[in-house]
Parts: sequence; structure tokens; C-alpha cells
Amino acid sequence: MNPFVTRINKQSWVLPVSSMCLVLGFMISMAWVTQSTRSSRQNYLPLDQRQRVNDLNGDQEAVQKMSTEIAKLQSEKTRLEKALSNHDGESKVLNDSLQELKVFAGMTPVVGPGVIVTLRDSPKYAGTGLGNNLGVSPDATIHDVDTLKVVNELIAAGAEAVSVNNHRIAGNSSLRCVGNTILVNDVKIASPVVIRAIGDPNTIMGAMNMPGGVLAEIRQTDPNMVQIEAVKNQELPEFVGNTTRKFAKPPKDTK
Amino acid sequence: MTFLPILALFLGAMIALAMKLPAIPGAYGQYLAVACLAGFDTICGGVRAGLEDKFRTDVFITGFVSNVLIAFFLAWLGDEIYINLFLVVALVFGTRIFTNLSLIRRYVLTKWQDAHARKRLQAQAQAVVSSQPEPNS
Repeated sequence: MNPFVTRINKQSWVLPVSSMCLVLGFMISMAWVTQSTRSSRQNYLPLDQRQRVNDLNGDQEAVQKMSTEIAKLQSEKTRLEKALSNHDGESKVLNDSLQELKVFAGMTPVVGPGVIVTLRDSPKYAGTGLGNNLGVSPDATIHDVDTLKVVNELIAAGAEAVSVNNHRIAGNSSLRCVGNTILVNDVKIASPVVIRAIGDPNTIMGAMNMPGGVLAEIRQTDPNMVQIEAVKNQELPEFVGNTTRKFAKPPKDTK
Repeated sequence: MTFLPILALFLGAMIALAMKLPAIPGAYGQYLAVACLAGFDTICGGVRAGLEDKFRTDVFITGFVSNVLIAFFLAWLGDEIYINLFLVVALVFGTRIFTNLSLIRRYVLTKWQDAHARKRLQAQAQAVVSSQPEPNS
């Protein structure tokens, strides 16, 4: 006997299908990616899809909005601190040291002379591959590592404050790559990468143009990828990344 | 009547939301997502069988349950033995969904066109009948 014979007897399909649809709807709702499960689910995606998902979610916009909010609050806080210190001498001393520390920690905007280093992807090799990026020599693009090396070199050369595409580099800044973009303080930036540093322009220029240095390395691929200029005066924004701490606290015996 | 499955789909989602069940995180969320794909394919298959007048409730219900479980456990097994069976399940059920949906579209389109043609022919016949003189006059 053939078990696969089609017995043609008309049964209504609407009710069984509906009942299973109920179950499916329940399942889909459980499998839906929500705010709470996004990060744990994202780890299972391949890199290119992860980037598409990130672009779709538009989180960058929210980050941008919150950064401006933080900047506003921080300047307001500085203003209040200053107002408080006007009352008597003691709190003025306290506030002076507070403001000094804030400048050091990168929590205030700073102005001064310095240099601007601009790194851009080399146009020489662009579009030679199948897609926009495929087949292009990997050396022809600016990577997170290049940016990191330049920032490191600038600080080593005596830069007192550094920013990358107007994101201030502070104590707990990070630079890393996601797909083919760079994250600075967890905010996505696009090429060209503009690195501003405040410090003695002559010293920094000399250190950066050192033969065999980090810029020379990039210039080997294409000299047009690097541009460095000294400026008399520029303003760097304050650090607006996350400043909350969960684990680190000063030891008890220090006062 | 035909919109009942779609209504039920939303109702199921509503029930899950109303019960305030947390969405499933991590790897098991991925497995459940691929199981949903299998469930959706079975639903499409059921609708298609219904349109073909070949629908049988027992086959459909067992098919739904087993497809969902197989999809879930195949994806899980693939991660246990380091073979990307997750992609295989997604590929197979994705293909089947496309096939089923295109067949459903054809049946519905044909039915609609047939109904249209029947209406036109009836109207024509009516016109012919009314234009003829009454035989008794």
C-alpha cells in the first residue's frame, strides 16, 4: 500500500492554519530582537550583517543627541562651580584645583596652538575591485590601527589634548574598527580622519615627520593619504563619552 | 474568513506580549528564529494545500510541530558539531517559503481571473438573451 497516496477529501484549512498561526505569532514574538536581547543576539551575526543592522537601528543619531546634551550639562556644571567659588576664598582654591583637574581629564573644551593631521583613504586604488571595498589593497584605507598609532605618536610628542573627528581622546577613550568604519569613544566616524592636537607645533611637526615614523609608513602607500599642518589656534571639544564607574573606586586609606 | 490566519498571527504575538515574557537572548533566540522560519513555511504549505483542495488537518499539525522542532534542533546540533547547519535550515526553509508563496499567488490569481471571466461571459450571455425577440410575440 502506498502511504503517500493523496486522499482527496475536502477539509477546511482555515481553522487549523489559524490555530498554528497563533502558535507561530507567539514564537515570532519570543524570537524577536528587542532592546534587551540585541547585544547577545548580535554576536551571532557575521560582520557585514552586523554592520547593516547597526546602520538600520540609527543608534548613532541618539548617541549624537545625547553627546550634545552632555556637553551642555557639563558647561552648565562648570558655570555653577565658578559661581559657587565667587563667594569666598577657600572654595575658590578648591574650584581652581577642580578646574585644573577637569582640563587634565579632558572634561572641558581647550584652545591653543597645535597641529592638524588628516588621514584619508587613498584614491589611487579605489574602485579597482568588484565592490567598493573588495579587491582594494587593504593598505589603501585608513584603519583603526593607523589612527591609534598617530594618536599615540602625538601624545608621545607632547600633545596636551587630542581629538579625532571632534571626539576628544580622554582617559577611557577607545579606538577600534567595526566593519569598515572606525569607532571613536563608541561613535562611528567616517573618512577622512581629522586628528587635532594641542601642543608645541614645531616639536610635534618634527616628531610626526620623523623618517620611519608612523606617518612615513602610511606615506609609503600613497603620500596623499597624509596631510599635516600647524595651526596657531584651535579649539578641541570636551570628552562627552561615558563617565560612570561601577567597579573602580579609590582605596579606603587614601584621603 | 480568509484573513483569520493573519488575525491569529497578531493575536499570538499579542498574547506573548501581554504575558510579559522576556524575549529569548543569545544562541537560543537564534534557534527559535530559525524555527519560526520553519513554522512559517509549514503555514504557507498548509494554505497552498488548502487552495489545492489537498488539505489534511493531521498532516498539517504534525508537519508544523515536527518542522519547528527539527529546525530548532538541527540548528542546535550544527553548533554542537561545528557545522553551520543553521544556514542550511535557513536556506532550505527560505527556498520553500518562496516556492509556496509563488504557488499560492498563482492559485489566487487564477481563481480571481476565472471568476472575472465567468462574470464577463454571463453578462454576454445575458445580453444575447435580452436582445433576442420574445418567441411568443
